[in-house]
Amino acid sequence: MTVHETDICIIGGGITSAMLAERLSELRPGVHIAVVEAGKSIFDAQNRGQYRQRAIEYGEHPWPGDYIEDQQANGIISMTMAVGGLALHWGGACNRFSEEDLRLKSMYGLATDWPIAWDELEKYYCEAERRLNVSGEPSPHPEDKRSAPYPQGPIPLSYNLQTLKAWAEQSGLKFSPLPMARNLTPFGGRGSCCVYDTCGEVCPSGARYSPDFTFKQLIAPKKIVLHDRTLVRRLIVDDKQSRIVAAQALHQDRPDDPIEFRAKTFVVASGYCWSSHLLLLSSSTRYPNGLANSSGMVGRYMNGHRFIQATANIDDQTFPGQNMTHSLISRQYFRCAANQPFVRHDTRVWESSAGRDPRLRSADGKLLFGDELMADWRSRTKGSSVRLRAYVDVHPSADSRLTLDASKKNRYGDPMPKIEHRFDEATMSREAATKTHVLGVFNTLAKASNGRIVNTSEGDYLDHPGGGCRMGTDPATSVCDSYGRTHDHENLFVVGAPTTPTGGCTNGTLTFVALTLRSAQEIAKS
Amino acid sequence: MQRRTLLQWIAAVPAFFSFDSIRLFAQPRELTPAAIAELREIAPTVLPSGLGAVRAAAITDKFVAWTRGYREGVPLTHGYGHPRLQKSGPSPVPGYISQLSALAEEARAHGSSWSGLDRETQRTLLDAAFTKAGVRNLPGRPLGQHVIVDLMAFYFRSSEANDECYNALINREVCRPIAITTRRPEPLKKV
Repeated sequence: MTVHETDICIIGGGITSAMLAERLSELRPGVHIAVVEAGKSIFDAQNRGQYRQRAIEYGEHPWPGDYIEDQQANGIISMTMAVGGLALHWGGACNRFSEEDLRLKSMYGLATDWPIAWDELEKYYCEAERRLNVSGEPSPHPEDKRSAPYPQGPIPLSYNLQTLKAWAEQSGLKFSPLPMARNLTPFGGRGSCCVYDTCGEVCPSGARYSPDFTFKQLIAPKKIVLHDRTLVRRLIVDDKQSRIVAAQALHQDRPDDPIEFRAKTFVVASGYCWSSHLLLLSSSTRYPNGLANSSGMVGRYMNGHRFIQATANIDDQTFPGQNMTHSLISRQYFRCAANQPFVRHDTRVWESSAGRDPRLRSADGKLLFGDELMADWRSRTKGSSVRLRAYVDVHPSADSRLTLDASKKNRYGDPMPKIEHRFDEATMSREAATKTHVLGVFNTLAKASNGRIVNTSEGDYLDHPGGGCRMGTDPATSVCDSYGRTHDHENLFVVGAPTTPTGGCTNGTLTFVALTLRSAQEIAKS
Repeated sequence: MQRRTLLQWIAAVPAFFSFDSIRLFAQPRELTPAAIAELREIAPTVLPSGLGAVRAAAITDKFVAWTRGYREGVPLTHGYGHPRLQKSGPSPVPGYISQLSALAEEARAHGSSWSGLDRETQRTLLDAAFTKAGVRNLPGRPLGQHVIVDLMAFYFRSSEANDECYNALINREVCRPIAITTRRPEPLKKV
């Protein structure tokens, strides 16, 4: 057996792990930090232009080998398991939640409150934005006040988005450029944005933040030791106390040589799926329900947000392809008066070519080719399509769960996770009213410029998922405290997405990072 | 190696290779000169005439280069929300060669080369060929269903075609300064 002794062992190699490792190395210079990631390192930024080109031309996945075929979950939203995690190919959206997200119970009698004051979290939002070099514009709503400016001004709106902003604001809603972790000038060893427009897949210039850059910068000066392709299979508790003493792992190439990481502090930074999974897998005679699970809450209250989307046709002319990955956001409905039916959502607007792409057959089924096809295409490009979407605040029930699926195991015989989202009764009871409200907003937007909604749809999964190790002050109803320290094991922390009690109504990554940076302060003290 | 051992080894070799794998080894990986010639003849009729002969030929050459760059068994984009592992299929080249040969034969059956056919006959032949290949829409990129619809997708789904359609220098997915995107795209300069 190979043994690695370290001070802090971080399990998982995604964005929260990167931010935590970076912050801890600053707070505790010289401390030994090991990061253990099941997937491989893909530290070849120089090849990303080529990967992108092949993704466009051949549909090839632009992150070679970023998955482990037998380490997959039922209900997961991405197969990626590599150093950098899902943030290798996130879009870079960096919206903040709002105070309402943290006070749902006290303001509306719904779900639960987060055990953090908004002003406290807001400081860490600023720090997260600084580290990710977020580009943004202050919200027009005074409730969204900030204690520090964005580190970069907003991404300049394309001509298309300028046109759509003028259109959308005729509804009375105020829109802002979406804040994004996208460099407008070189920063942090990464290049500046040159509108490759494939942020959600791969960014050749590195302008859109991805954690591989942070890890490389921490590895070179030996601030951390990265153990990639190493799957942590269980955590081991001290025989007499409740402290975690080791993480047992296997390297992909040496499955016959078990590895043990021994540390003073363990941090599970494995995202919304694999964090709960590891705690449940670490069951023993003494802890038959897994670790940190005396409350039975591990794997429960899995959250995220629903989304409703639409396409509008308007008369104003745009030119699809200018900057399709950037969007507008309205935070108008982040707030809901306490005496009104509860509904919260963001409102997003993108340029689109939906319904205006080249097609093979005319409306009457005639095959088109050559000049006819181009003429048909041109005839349908007057005016614009607009893509609309709302991420809707929905609240999980205790039965919204991640469980171990005994019918699906990896090569080592470990059961894989199964995620099934469920909503609480209040969410279910307002579902129809919520949909009516959101479609009403879309229709109001569409009125200007002779617009009309031409189609609507609802997502069939929850986006930006979290939960499974929710934070709280009561050990009977939560897994960890507001810093992610588990109630049951003083030297075991969980950070980021799994700790969120509810999923908000806009992209969650910035919140996951802000929570993690706050946890770092506490972990550093330990 | 003794002669008998050698003969036994030779006799055993076919057992290691299925009929399919032998057939696979025999499959061409590149379009034949005859197939390329047929493709070049058909291309100007399925691409916009405004491209002119030189650009149409250049697009055809790029498409031929695309076929050479095709890789089999490579993981495709996993997707998001409901991800799944998919890998690229066998090279489309053998199918392309057959399809081009079939179109040439059909044209000959009408007493002409492809370019000598009238437009409605071309439409009828393409319609039948696409239907046989299961083509319903213009794919987002070449998918190997039919060589001609893939050539059309190769062009019509490109940034260049998008600019032609809108008569505007949009340069979709082309590396460029972000400031350029803040202005209404310039009309294309007519050559």
